[in-house]
Amino acid sequence: MSADLAFAPVADLARMIARKEVSPVEVVRVHLERIAALDATLRAYITVCDEAALAAARGAESALAAGRPVGALHGVPVALKDLYDTAGVRTTGGSKILADRVPEADATVVRRLKEAGAIVLGKLHMVEFAYGPEGLNAHHGAPRNPWDAAAARMPGGSSSGSGVAVAAGLAPAALGSDTGGSIRIPASLCGITGLKPTYGRVSRAGVLPLAWSMDHVGPMTRTVADSALLLRVMAGYDPADASTSVLPVPDYLAALSGDVKGLRVGLLRSFFLESATPEVRAAVETAAKALEKAGAILDEVALPAVAHVGAASYAVVASEALAYHTGWLKSRPTDYDPEVRKRLQLGAFITGAHYVRGQQVRALVRNEVDAALARRDVLLAPTTPLTAPRLDERQTTLGDGPSEVRGALIRLTRPFNFSGHPACAVPCGFSTGGLPIGMQLVGRPFDEATVLRAADAYQRLTDWHTRRPVLA
Amino acid sequence: MDAVFDLATLRGAARVAGFTWTDEELEALRPVIQASLRLLATLDTLPLDAVEPTTQYRIL
Repeated sequence: MSADLAFAPVADLARMIARKEVSPVEVVRVHLERIAALDATLRAYITVCDEAALAAARGAESALAAGRPVGALHGVPVALKDLYDTAGVRTTGGSKILADRVPEADATVVRRLKEAGAIVLGKLHMVEFAYGPEGLNAHHGAPRNPWDAAAARMPGGSSSGSGVAVAAGLAPAALGSDTGGSIRIPASLCGITGLKPTYGRVSRAGVLPLAWSMDHVGPMTRTVADSALLLRVMAGYDPADASTSVLPVPDYLAALSGDVKGLRVGLLRSFFLESATPEVRAAVETAAKALEKAGAILDEVALPAVAHVGAASYAVVASEALAYHTGWLKSRPTDYDPEVRKRLQLGAFITGAHYVRGQQVRALVRNEVDAALARRDVLLAPTTPLTAPRLDERQTTLGDGPSEVRGALIRLTRPFNFSGHPACAVPCGFSTGGLPIGMQLVGRPFDEATVLRAADAYQRLTDWHTRRPVLA
Repeated sequence: MDAVFDLATLRGAARVAGFTWTDEELEALRPVIQASLRLLATLDTLPLDAVEPTTQYRIL
């Protein structure tokens, strides 16, 4: 029963709790017991809010007993990447610099989750200040990918703890943030679902920034339906975040019809499939055929401008990150992870003209993705071109030649941070070595409903998302 | 032909940006700076003159 509860979808937990078939106290306790048993090895959490979570669960139980109206996530535990402000609970950004920082207020999305009844289990491990895709952290030690913890493989980052916690049943759902792929990369490497919404769909107020114009926040879950459920709660205009849209928030769950008949899917081969390793390429091509067999209309499309995203987004991210970190870089330089400090220092050698060039390329890329989606409903590509590398691996070989691991991990996700389009990563297979393979579906701005419908339909056709890692 | 930047140039550029970093630190950064400037130089080869720069804000 406890393992069943630990791996139950959020939607099932919410329904069982609302019907009093299971107590929120039991659900929270099951997760705290797994964290106690497994997290010394997996290192998903920086802070576990055990007493507060149990107290909130008892409150949730009392509310049900009293017959009070409850929210969509009543009694359901969630965990947060440690860059979401939490009132009274330290929020470190995975850093030494903010090790003792305790915010006075919750981030907007945390407040919305709590208002819907969710219970915060704890704060999750991450790359320092979210600046890196591997999932490494010099201060806290790297979390272990649960699919091969013995071989010490990367969980992916920067939302490393979020990927590990959800994959290992240490949380039914987590929040991540995604500046170059930091929700989708750990989702791909850990075999879970991760949704990067449209830029402006979800408030970033109270979330530590890496690069304001590229940062997105979103859910990480085991099923697409659960991401739809969380997005409904999280999304919407927030006066505290000027980038948020006033567009109404649809009922994303209601959009999950399971039907892809007539859905136009553009497979991204050039740059995307071509750079994937043979196993990843084969898995994504098989997934495309599965959607086609279910009635989708498949064609291939190219996005030539994405070849320049590496240089352009580097100019933007490094400049914005340096702007945020200048004070600490001067006053506390030795308190940074040396690798992160180096990445920040490089921003000092980028000119204003470089930054503007980057923004010009962004216009090209955004227009190109918009044009591709004018005649298609979603685009399909691998999430990462490779499966989880070992923690000490720095070089790899992709489908189109040798590459640094860091660059390889963000290569296929970063274009859609740059363009701002919504993208949902889902597992679509396993390597011969037993490591998850991920694909992403990309949609029109603010059309998360179609992206989620396609991704959910794929999960109804396959069982990759139901597989669990074997944990000692 | 790449421009090669000596330590004095990097020291000066860092100071313009408001930082005083040691020569040892700058020397360690130098190959990465060279590589990043090579990468950024590729942006100058693109036909961008008629492209208005954007941010991601979509007023909706």
